[in-house]
Amino acid sequence: MIIEHIDAQLPGAVTDRHAFRGDQTIVVAKENLLALVDLLYREGFQLLVDITAVDWPERPNAEGGAAAGRFDVVYHWLNLASQERLRVKVPVADGGTVPSLTGHFKTADWFEREVFDLFGIRFDGHPNMKRLLTWDDFPGHALRKDFPLDGGDPFCMEGCTAPYNNGERAQG
Amino acid sequence: MAHPASPFLPILILLLVAAVTAIAILVLSGKVLPLLKPNNPQEAKLRPYECGVPPLQEGARHKYSVKFYLTAMLFILFDVEAAFLLPWAVNFKHALWTFAAMLSFMATLLVGFIYAWGKGAFEWER
Amino acid sequence: MAEMNINDAVVTTRLDAVVNWGRKNSLWPLPFGTACCAIEFMSMMASKYDMSRFGAEAMRFSPRQSDMMLVLGTVTNKMAPILRTIYAQMAEPKWVISVGVCASSGGMYRTYATLQGVDRVIPVDVYVPGCPPRPESMIYGVMKLQEKIEKESLSMRKEHIARFYESLARQEALQAEKGLTGQQTIRNMLMDAAERGAGTIF
Repeated sequence: MIIEHIDAQLPGAVTDRHAFRGDQTIVVAKENLLALVDLLYREGFQLLVDITAVDWPERPNAEGGAAAGRFDVVYHWLNLASQERLRVKVPVADGGTVPSLTGHFKTADWFEREVFDLFGIRFDGHPNMKRLLTWDDFPGHALRKDFPLDGGDPFCMEGCTAPYNNGERAQG
Repeated sequence: MAHPASPFLPILILLLVAAVTAIAILVLSGKVLPLLKPNNPQEAKLRPYECGVPPLQEGARHKYSVKFYLTAMLFILFDVEAAFLLPWAVNFKHALWTFAAMLSFMATLLVGFIYAWGKGAFEWER
Repeated sequence: MAEMNINDAVVTTRLDAVVNWGRKNSLWPLPFGTACCAIEFMSMMASKYDMSRFGAEAMRFSPRQSDMMLVLGTVTNKMAPILRTIYAQMAEPKWVISVGVCASSGGMYRTYATLQGVDRVIPVDVYVPGCPPRPESMIYGVMKLQEKIEKESLSMRKEHIARFYESLARQEALQAEKGLTGQQTIRNMLMDAAERGAGTIF
């Protein structure tokens, strides 16, 4: 499995790892991401399956250190030759940026736009960092934990969450 | 006693029926139909339909090459010349005068042809 | 949503009856199909449930050539201004049937992305619930619309359509003035409508 010999090639990059029944996960800092991607591509992990993110609001939103930042950007790779899958988590703070993989994988383009749209994480070097699923001036980022679950429906009559955009009208 | 114009009577009837039909259509669509149809002229109804999004470019009406017009015009000219050639050819009886007449007709058009050729009308790229 | 109130004294004449008979038996649908209800619509138009016996066989995907819009499926907030534009481009007389629960009320999608019922942005005549409704239900919805058309009168003014066009003009003015997208303008108009207690933005 790749996580066993990854430390030989990239010493110190992996800050955490676990595997369960063939499902392997590593946590790397964002500075090592591009080097890791090059290594993985050489090792045969050439299919980028998904890029997504997770919001951990309880985590302190600070840069630097082991588990830094509120978000985890999660990448999934598939090794077509050995049918191995690898998950890579990159912690990033709210307002921080992650290097973009659009130079390596064309599919990263829309995945990163989706992550930007729904979480607000920007990617350095992305050619078109715009929202993908919501409209261009949608206020807020929808999949963050502090965004109202029902979108803040203004006509809500019972079981209502916070009003949409705190009741402010979005200005241009 | 048969009226001398009786073979043309059906044509007169046709003329009357056509006139009545035309006037009826005009009156119905001009006077009767506006009473029956809803009347709500709105500017939004006149906009070009592009699946609901604002039009991406300002109309596809202009911006086609004028070469199409030129080619069509030249085609008509020489096609009409060929159309004149055909009945002449059917009725030709080996007389010099007839031949010379047709040659002079074609010579006139040949002058035009050489002019168009020289001007580059037959080359698409220019 | 104020539309034709049956309790209003609308007197229909013989001419109205003839015109309404023609209109109700030749409803040409505009399928605004976005999701699963569109599949049920296809099944309704096919030979087993056969919509063409109601005169509605000629479905046209152009708003100019149809008179009944069937909103089939989930309409997202991103799609809302597009729906309004297509409804605006239809020529009158026009009617809207909201098919399925997603179009009627947002359905099971109570989220930031889904419009909670198309009647918030366009006037709707008949609602057909179901997820998806069976083709027989949709046919029943069209029959209900036919009954509604029978009761119309040529002299009746369609208030909801007039108000819709006013709201479209307001939306475009707001969009131009503030430089927002159509979607955000509609969200702002929805918040305004909620504040003054209206159920729709028109």
